[in-house]
Amino acid sequence: MPEITILRKVRKLWQRMRATFRHEPRESEFQAEMEEHVSLLAERYRRQGMTAEAAMLAAGRQFGNRTLLKEDLRNMQIIPAIEALRGDLTYAARMLRKNPGFAATAVLTLALGIGANTAIFSLCNAVLFKPLPYAEPDRLVMLSETDRDGRPGGVALANFVDWRDGSRSFSGMAALRASSFASSFILGGHGEASRLTGGDVSSSFFSVLGIRLMLGRNFLPEENLPGHNRVAILSYATWTRRFGADRDIAGKAITLNDERYTVVGVLPAGFQFGSTAEDFQAASQVDIWVPLVLDPQRLQRGAHMYHVIARLGPGVKLAQAQAELDVVAANLAKHYPEDDKEKGILAVPLADQVTRGVRVALETLLGAVGLVLLIACANVANLLLSRAAARQKEMAVRVALGASRGRLAQQLLTESLLLASLGGLAGFVLAIAAMAALTPHLPADLSRASVIAIDPQLLIFTVVISLVTGILFGLGPLFGSWRKSAGESLKQNNRTSSGIQTRLRSGLAVAQIAIAITLLIGAGLMVKSFWALVHVAPGFRSDSILTARLSLPGSRYDDNGKVAALERALLDRLHGRPGIQSAGFTTYVPLSGLDNDWGFLIEGRPPLPTGTYNTAQYRPASPGYFEAIGIPLLRGRSFTVADTAESPWVVVISDSMAREYWPSENPIGQRLQFGSEKWRTVIGVVGDVLDQGLDMAARAEMYVPVEQAPNL
Amino acid sequence: MTKGKGDINKKSEVLQGTLDLMILKTLQAMGPLHGFGIARRLEQLSEAVLRLNEGTVYTSLLRLQQEGWIAAEWGASENNRKAKFYSITKRGLKQLARETEDWERISGVIDRLLRLEGQR
Repeated sequence: MPEITILRKVRKLWQRMRATFRHEPRESEFQAEMEEHVSLLAERYRRQGMTAEAAMLAAGRQFGNRTLLKEDLRNMQIIPAIEALRGDLTYAARMLRKNPGFAATAVLTLALGIGANTAIFSLCNAVLFKPLPYAEPDRLVMLSETDRDGRPGGVALANFVDWRDGSRSFSGMAALRASSFASSFILGGHGEASRLTGGDVSSSFFSVLGIRLMLGRNFLPEENLPGHNRVAILSYATWTRRFGADRDIAGKAITLNDERYTVVGVLPAGFQFGSTAEDFQAASQVDIWVPLVLDPQRLQRGAHMYHVIARLGPGVKLAQAQAELDVVAANLAKHYPEDDKEKGILAVPLADQVTRGVRVALETLLGAVGLVLLIACANVANLLLSRAAARQKEMAVRVALGASRGRLAQQLLTESLLLASLGGLAGFVLAIAAMAALTPHLPADLSRASVIAIDPQLLIFTVVISLVTGILFGLGPLFGSWRKSAGESLKQNNRTSSGIQTRLRSGLAVAQIAIAITLLIGAGLMVKSFWALVHVAPGFRSDSILTARLSLPGSRYDDNGKVAALERALLDRLHGRPGIQSAGFTTYVPLSGLDNDWGFLIEGRPPLPTGTYNTAQYRPASPGYFEAIGIPLLRGRSFTVADTAESPWVVVISDSMAREYWPSENPIGQRLQFGSEKWRTVIGVVGDVLDQGLDMAARAEMYVPVEQAPNL
Repeated sequence: MTKGKGDINKKSEVLQGTLDLMILKTLQAMGPLHGFGIARRLEQLSEAVLRLNEGTVYTSLLRLQQEGWIAAEWGASENNRKAKFYSITKRGLKQLARETEDWERISGVIDRLLRLEGQR
């Protein structure tokens, strides 16, 4: 057998590829040769005595079908498949140009359908599908304490330590203080003081996530101990913005809250951490990371201010880890009934935790635009069917000329795919424009979407969807046009639509209407819910309200008295200024997503069983706060400047708290205790604030004057 | 010829291979020839084979050209008409030798096989 090296094969292929795209076919060469050959044959026959005509005929017969031969020769010199494709595309393009109205309608319809899908897909991709930016993110879990009802909540440090020491399913566990309690640092010594958001973590935090520091080193375990914890790791943004991207920063000293810290490392660019979709919001990113103080003598079991993350050990399944944690929880409940009775531990994959709030909404959206695309396909299929009826004569002529059904199908499919590609292209552009316009208006939950980019996955998605769409609606006309025989189609009085085609078109119309109505109803319901939500009274006013955040260095303001004094001074300065009607201070603004709750005791009530507590949201506030933010005073009085640390301790409670705990009596004059030995007298009741969200019930809230607050 | 494509394909596959071989041999033995000339020599050699349409010679010629076993050149024919002359190349000679060897080997085996039958 002949030896053919791979190189020669490739060269042959390349030559054929080039020949396919050349404009001038090389048939002309063979043409001359073949004609010459035939005329020579004819000459021979003439010499044998035939007439010129007969000789020519005989020569032709002896030579064979020249048309077929030319085609064979041509097919040997090009790549027939590509040649066919090229021809089909040219023809399809010409057809579209001749019917601009149809083309425009079809392309626009497809563009809307494909564009909507691409846009929503890119959103889902960024928020739901993309793996978290850590090493082996599917091995990361978040651990939460669960209460009696199984609801997850924050973790106490003592529990964290016990979980870490008492479990074997994890290769690492770390704690992070929840953003509601995050440290705030004033960076001094660099000109103007600037506020940095702090992240308080245990030493293994970054190694659990699998993050390699860009500069310097990670925290050491001993740096979680008191006295050794004045070290810091900078975020990339902070390093570039505040420290001029100094490559020798490791080991240098900085001043945070008037104290000396040593920078030990810098994180790589783009590092983000959040336990909810909100936490991934760029605005609340941590600027500087410091070690938690895990003083073994003073570990708290009652303050549940921490998030715990862990990495599953090699080969450990989530169910196994959860089972082990259940045992650990049971042990802790036995040993520490006041704090841990009936508390469980819940392990949830970190990715699920982060997307929890938005997953359902996004998946619904995805489904909805999928339906929209189906409508678009049905629409275009219908358009094509109408045209197919008109083109039956053309098809019949082709069949008569020798085109096979397969070849016809190929050509029709090419036309559909061309349409789909144009639609896909237009849709892609539309999607990009829409995303660019809409991203700034996305809700905070979806801010992981701020990394929406035109990435390869998006392109692939668009291409795949366009192809599938093209095939879907391209098949419609195929079924329609094959029923009739070629002969029938060519008859003069031929009616254009066959029974099957009409039924198909009706079917498509019905399907479109059905899907559209479903979508309309769904959308209508959503709009209704949204309308109701927007019109819910939040309990406070948000128009004409300005808020500002103050950060005070702990060293200079270590006493609540000093904080209260500052607030008084500031409020005095603001009072009476033009444009300011009222002003006040609070620690947590409504709907900020930050909260703090405490267990409290009511005087004169029987003690609760061990381990159960009444809790309420706890809000230090200054005089003037309620008036400024428009929370109505329902009973009694609110705070005045006379309420100081020395005066009788007071508390103002919310309406729902009053109704829950004093359903049939007046709460004014009753006494509460929390956070301190001193009993606080209820002096007023204010209206509820929908603090968690407009769609959630108001929670019990208790307000205290700043000077009487346990800690700030 | 309006035979179904299938028929021609089966027959022509086997004959195409032999046709290639015969053309190579013809060119090697007789020197450069044009298409018509090749067809005439082949006609002389075996009438039965050329029940195939004469035009198929050109399919073989194109294939042999693509493989690099023959080369083509425009020149003047006997009647001073422009014609394309084909000649065998060095690679073609090697290929011819190889195929001749293969052919002889195969025919030798078949030969022995047939004689074997006869011995019974």
